[in-house]
Amino acid sequence: MQKFSFNRRLVIVIVCVIVAFALMTVSVAVRNKKATPPLVQQFGNDIVGLADRVVALPANGLRGSVSAVSELLNTYQENQQLKKQVSELAQTKVRDQTLAKENKQLKKQIKLNDSLTDYSAISAAVITRTPSSWQNQVIINKGSSAGVVKNMPVMSGSGLVGRISEVNKTNSKVELITDNNDSANRFAVSITTKSGKTVNGVLSGYNADTGEITMNNLTTKAKISKGDKVVTSGLGGVTPKGLYVGKVAKASGDDYGLSTKLHITPATDLSELNIVTVAVTKQ
Amino acid sequence: MYRLSKLRFGFPIGLILMLFLDGSISQIFGAQLFQPTATMVSHLVVLWLICAVLFEDRYEIPIARWGAIAGAVFDLYYTGIFGVYVFIFPLVVYLTRQVMGYISPNFLSGLLIYFIDITVIEALSYLASRMVHLTSMAGSAFLVNTLGPTLALNLALFVVLYFPIRWVYNWLK
Repeated sequence: MQKFSFNRRLVIVIVCVIVAFALMTVSVAVRNKKATPPLVQQFGNDIVGLADRVVALPANGLRGSVSAVSELLNTYQENQQLKKQVSELAQTKVRDQTLAKENKQLKKQIKLNDSLTDYSAISAAVITRTPSSWQNQVIINKGSSAGVVKNMPVMSGSGLVGRISEVNKTNSKVELITDNNDSANRFAVSITTKSGKTVNGVLSGYNADTGEITMNNLTTKAKISKGDKVVTSGLGGVTPKGLYVGKVAKASGDDYGLSTKLHITPATDLSELNIVTVAVTKQ
Repeated sequence: MYRLSKLRFGFPIGLILMLFLDGSISQIFGAQLFQPTATMVSHLVVLWLICAVLFEDRYEIPIARWGAIAGAVFDLYYTGIFGVYVFIFPLVVYLTRQVMGYISPNFLSGLLIYFIDITVIEALSYLASRMVHLTSMAGSAFLVNTLGPTLALNLALFVVLYFPIRWVYNWLK
């Protein structure tokens, strides 16, 4: 009798393990291949997402008020520094506007409607974050009904933070660029060096110890110096051109010593995301 | 007993609340919790489940079933990979029930069981993530950077929340 119950338990364990593997494999495959998750999952996620807002909104509000108080303390210093920057920025902005206008006119003349740099933005609030140490994922409050599509780039503050990995009707998941999983979509990026050359490459991973993104597959051997700005190149589909990624921290040989590997300091602090912008390319 | 008590509604509501609080805590304290050298993951939902096992006495709450439901929501809503926590949560509840057969539930034994449970959860979810290539973290890095800090955080939460949760369960009974 004892033996029988032990065997039965063993069978249950083995069946559970096999089923777990099957489910995991299927869901990873679905996540990589399909544009949206199965309808049941989508529906469930929408309902859970709505319920989560009941908890998340007060919590995020509380956080907002606490950080407002702490930010008040060093406002004076910040104000002085910012004042200097503002005067410089005003000039840049005016020039920017003029150039954008000129650009539009020129495009009209050559009958070019939308180029790689054009995109419209959907802004969304972060509801919650995946409580897991290997998945750097946040859930935002806009989904397919707002026009979000899988693989769209997501920005926050001054730079790129990740891409949409799963879309439901009213919420979607954003996989941050700090996520190191195998299937993560690698962004095509480019660097304009001081000598004016353009170097293309692909973001290839994240080094958790240094907090730097790595860039591989460089197209040229051009000299890249520290502090060069890295932007998305717009090559390969859904990502528009010119989204700021970060600055080059250092260049080193890759693991096999054959090509160069760049280390990039991300432009945004990825651990504190509240409001993000989803970039929608016009195609 | 269970059907007649307030636990029938109180337990699932608490479970869902804890599930969402896990995400909100990770979001709000993201900068403090998710440091590259020390990643702390809060498992309040597990705390709620384990406390249910500790405090249920005659009330037979279907904890493992609710654990599976919480795991399913966790998988679909938070991670997007179905089939990980949906099995781990009931397993941990089962494990705790087995251990409870040998010792009496009190604060210290609860702490020890919770220690084992968090270790099991983190280890199994690490193995699962390695299998489906969600992470490439080395085993040694996992022990030092994730398991250690996570245990520290969750045991601290257990110490802080043990008596409040016991009060809640007594009130629900």
